[in-house]
Amino acid sequence: MKNFSLLNNFLYILFATIVSLIYLPILVMIVFSFNSSKYQIMPFRSFTTTWYQRVITDSQYIEGLSNSLIVSISVSLFATLLAFFCAYSLVNSNFKGKSFLNIFFLTPLVVPLILIGISLRFYLSSKGYEPSLFLVAIGQSIFVMPLAILNLSNRMSQIPKNLEEAAWSLGSSRLRSMFEIILPSCKFSLIATFILTFTFAFDEFIIAYFLTNFSITLPIKIWTSLVTGFDPAINAIGTIVFLTSLTLGIISQLLFLKK
Amino acid sequence: MTFFFIFPVFHTLRLSFLDSNTGVFTLNNYFAFFAKDIFYDSFFRTLKMSFFVIFFSVILAFPLAYFICFVVKKKFRTLALLILVAPFWTSFTIRAFSWQLILSDKGLVTWFVNKVTGYEIKLNFLYSMNASIFGLTLFGVMLITLLLFNSMITIDKRLLEANSDLGGNKFTEIKNIILPLSLPGLIIGTVLTFIIAVGDYAVPTLLGGGFKPVLAQLMLSTIKGTFDLNTAATMAILLVIVIIIACIPLLSLIKQIRFEK
Repeated sequence: MKNFSLLNNFLYILFATIVSLIYLPILVMIVFSFNSSKYQIMPFRSFTTTWYQRVITDSQYIEGLSNSLIVSISVSLFATLLAFFCAYSLVNSNFKGKSFLNIFFLTPLVVPLILIGISLRFYLSSKGYEPSLFLVAIGQSIFVMPLAILNLSNRMSQIPKNLEEAAWSLGSSRLRSMFEIILPSCKFSLIATFILTFTFAFDEFIIAYFLTNFSITLPIKIWTSLVTGFDPAINAIGTIVFLTSLTLGIISQLLFLKK
Repeated sequence: MTFFFIFPVFHTLRLSFLDSNTGVFTLNNYFAFFAKDIFYDSFFRTLKMSFFVIFFSVILAFPLAYFICFVVKKKFRTLALLILVAPFWTSFTIRAFSWQLILSDKGLVTWFVNKVTGYEIKLNFLYSMNASIFGLTLFGVMLITLLLFNSMITIDKRLLEANSDLGGNKFTEIKNIILPLSLPGLIIGTVLTFIIAVGDYAVPTLLGGGFKPVLAQLMLSTIKGTFDLNTAATMAILLVIVIIIACIPLLSLIKQIRFEK
C-alpha cells in the first residue's frame, strides 16, 4: 500500500509539472502584455494598457484580423456544410469502396500542413492562379475537413436508423427526412464543429503563409512581427486571441457533451 | 478534395523529377539532395529530432493519461483533461515565442536564478535542437495524453480488479492490461506527433534557430530565397515518403481491428 501512494504522489507531481510547463509561456505572455517596458526582459516595469490600444489602432493588425475573420468564417461554414453531407453518406449508406473513401477523407490529417501549403501553391500557380486569400480558404478547408467529418459522423452514427426508416415508410422523401430528422438532431454538433473548425482555421499559419501574397492574415502578421524585430503588441494580441479561442473552445466542448 | 488535395501532391511529385533548367525527366534532384551536406544533414537532423520528440512525449504522456484515468476522481477527470488540452487553442507560434523569452540568455530563467542565488548563469539552451525537442515534446504530450486517455477510459475496470484478486501488482496491471488495451491510442498519438514534428516550421525556427535548419525550414528558404521549385518539391516528396513509412503502424492497427471482428 505504501508503494502505491508513492506512485500516486509521483503522478501528482508529474501532472503539476507538465501543466505548469504548458501554462508558463501563456502566463508570461499575459503578464508582459501589461508591461510598459519596450523590451521583453525582467524586471517588470509598470502596468499599462498601451499595447492593447496599439493593437486596436494599428491598421495592419486590424486588416489582418478582418482578413482572418473572413477567411476562417468562410472556411468553417464551407467545411461544416460539406462535412455534413460527407458524413451523412458515409454513415447512412453502404457501398463498395466505402472504407476506402473513409480513409481517403481522413488522409489530410496525416499530411503536415507545410506539405498541403507547398503542393497547393505549386499546383495552383502552375495553373495560373495568383496567391490570394481565396486560395488560403481552399487550403485551410482541406486541413479542417477531416476534423469536421469525424465529429459529425460520430454524432450521426448515434442517431437510431429506424427514425429515418419510419419517415420513409410514411412517405417522406430522402431529402425531407434528412432535413427534418438528421439536421435537428445534429444541431449542437454542427455548431460545435463550426466553432472547432473556425478556431483551427483562425490560428493556422503555414498554409496561409504559402498561399497568400499581399493580403495577410493575423497569424502571418504575428509571425512577421516576431521575426523582424519584436513588437510588444504581439503579447496583447496573443492574449486576446487566447482568451477568445479558449472561450469558443470550451463552448464547443460543452455543446459536444450536450449533443 | 481530389482537385485540391490529390492533384497537388502528384504535381509536386512530378516537379521533383524535373530538371530545374531544361524541364526534362531526371532523378538528379534526388541525387543532388543527398550529395549536398546541408540537405543531407538537415534530413537526418529532422528525423533524429522527431524520434526524440516522440520518445519523450510517450514517456511523459503514458503516466499522465494513467493518472487522469485511474488516479484522479471521476468528478475531476474532465476538468483535469481540459486543463491539459486547453492550450491547444492558443496560437502555437506565440507559445513558442514565449518560450524564447523564458529560455534566452537574458530571459526569465537566468533572471530568476540571478535574483534568488546571486549567480549569473548561462543557459545555452535556446537555438539548439534540444530547444526544438523541448517545444515540440510539450505539444506531443498534450496530443498523446488525449488519445491515450480515450483508449484507457474504455478499459473495463473489472479487469483491474481481477488482476489484484489473482495476486497481481501494479506492474502486472500495467504490463498485462493497460498497455495492450491502450495500444491503439498510443500508436495513433505517436504517429500524429511524429508527423507534426517532422513537418513543423514554427518551433524549429523560433526555438531551434536558423543555423541548423530542419527540412521544413530548408524547404521554405529554398522557395522564398532561390525560387528553386524542383529542389523544394524533392524535399517535400522525401517528407511524404518519411510520413508514409511512419503510417505503417497505423495499417497494422486497421488489420488488427478487422481480425478481431
